[in-house]
Amino acid sequence: MQTLTRAARWRAIQPWAGTLARVGLAAVWLVAGAAKVTDLAGSGRAVNAYRLMPYDVARVVGAALPFVELALGVLLLIGLATRLAAGVSAGLLVVFIAGISSAWARGLAIDCGCFGSGGQLAAGQSPSYGPEIARDVAFLALSAFLIVYPLTRISVDSALERV
Amino acid sequence: MSNRVQQRQAKRVVREQLAKEARRRRAMWTTAIAVAVLLIAGLIGWGVYASQSSSSYRTPANASADGSGLVVGSGPVTVDIYVDFMCPHCKEFETAAGPTLDQLVADKKVKLVYHPVAFLDPASTNQYSTRSSSSAACAADGDKFGPYLQALYTRQPAEGGPGLSDDELIQVGGSVGLIDPAFARCVRGGDYRTWTQHVTDAASQRGVTGTPTVYVNGTQTDATAAAITAAVTAAKK
Repeated sequence: MQTLTRAARWRAIQPWAGTLARVGLAAVWLVAGAAKVTDLAGSGRAVNAYRLMPYDVARVVGAALPFVELALGVLLLIGLATRLAAGVSAGLLVVFIAGISSAWARGLAIDCGCFGSGGQLAAGQSPSYGPEIARDVAFLALSAFLIVYPLTRISVDSALERV
Repeated sequence: MSNRVQQRQAKRVVREQLAKEARRRRAMWTTAIAVAVLLIAGLIGWGVYASQSSSSYRTPANASADGSGLVVGSGPVTVDIYVDFMCPHCKEFETAAGPTLDQLVADKKVKLVYHPVAFLDPASTNQYSTRSSSSAACAADGDKFGPYLQALYTRQPAEGGPGLSDDELIQVGGSVGLIDPAFARCVRGGDYRTWTQHVTDAASQRGVTGTPTVYVNGTQTDATAAAITAAVTAAKK
């Protein structure tokens, strides 16, 4: 009986927990995208600062990324195709974590450029790769939750489910 | 089992299958829409960037051979200095190393190539990095880049606020003898904004991610007077 009630409680909580995760992840993408969208050249420089791809490719990636982040944020906020959006989020975050790790491993001194700033460290600031990776891992956990439980309250997905 | 019960069961199975089919179709459509939204967003970013960046630029007077910097002095050793007029450390660098650099130029030991990049446009409310860099190119046209650079640092605005206005940039020019109306026109017209973009791109391409960054004859060197002097001495041998 005990396990049954616990399962029932989880069934009640899980869609709302999912809503929290979804809106939280949406906020992350919206803030990250908005911080970069006003300085696309800077975003390109931030990508280039990782020295992982040719300059011209880095510029295109840097210009496209803020808009993709904003779009992901909107999809998650309204809860449309949540599983896909969470999957793409997870993919991006894995790429980010890999990029930051490789910058760390190669001893580069850059800002992750996650929330703007063009990859340039502020004056006298040393890189903080550890916290940046930890932060991205936390966001990755939110994405994972949504991939497993994509149906959340107050979402287009759940509204369509009832049609 | 009676016929009626069987019929009811069959109906239920059909209903369930229809519902399943509808759910599958819905999932397909929402996925397609979401993928399209993400792709279009990426393309918009690319398009906006492509329309913002311009490949044609005018090179100011006293520019280096590749057009990505402004030359001060002439000497056998080339010292490339990447600065952003918005960057406080660049001002500190100029204050600390300026006299040494001036001496090296006076002794005709080095050629300084200043690359005024615009990394810190978001640090001011009116794109001060770009505007100060392009007005420095206007000053180079008037053969006063060196003194203008110094004067810009003495009036460096605080990060986060508005940078100097065009009028103030022109005023700074006046204080170092740039009284030609052509200079004022050049500043107001933002004639060298696309050149600044070129300078900034070239810096990024070279791997410069911060300012000040110094290269002596192509080798990156600490941005201190001592390190530069040592590298220049070593390069001459």
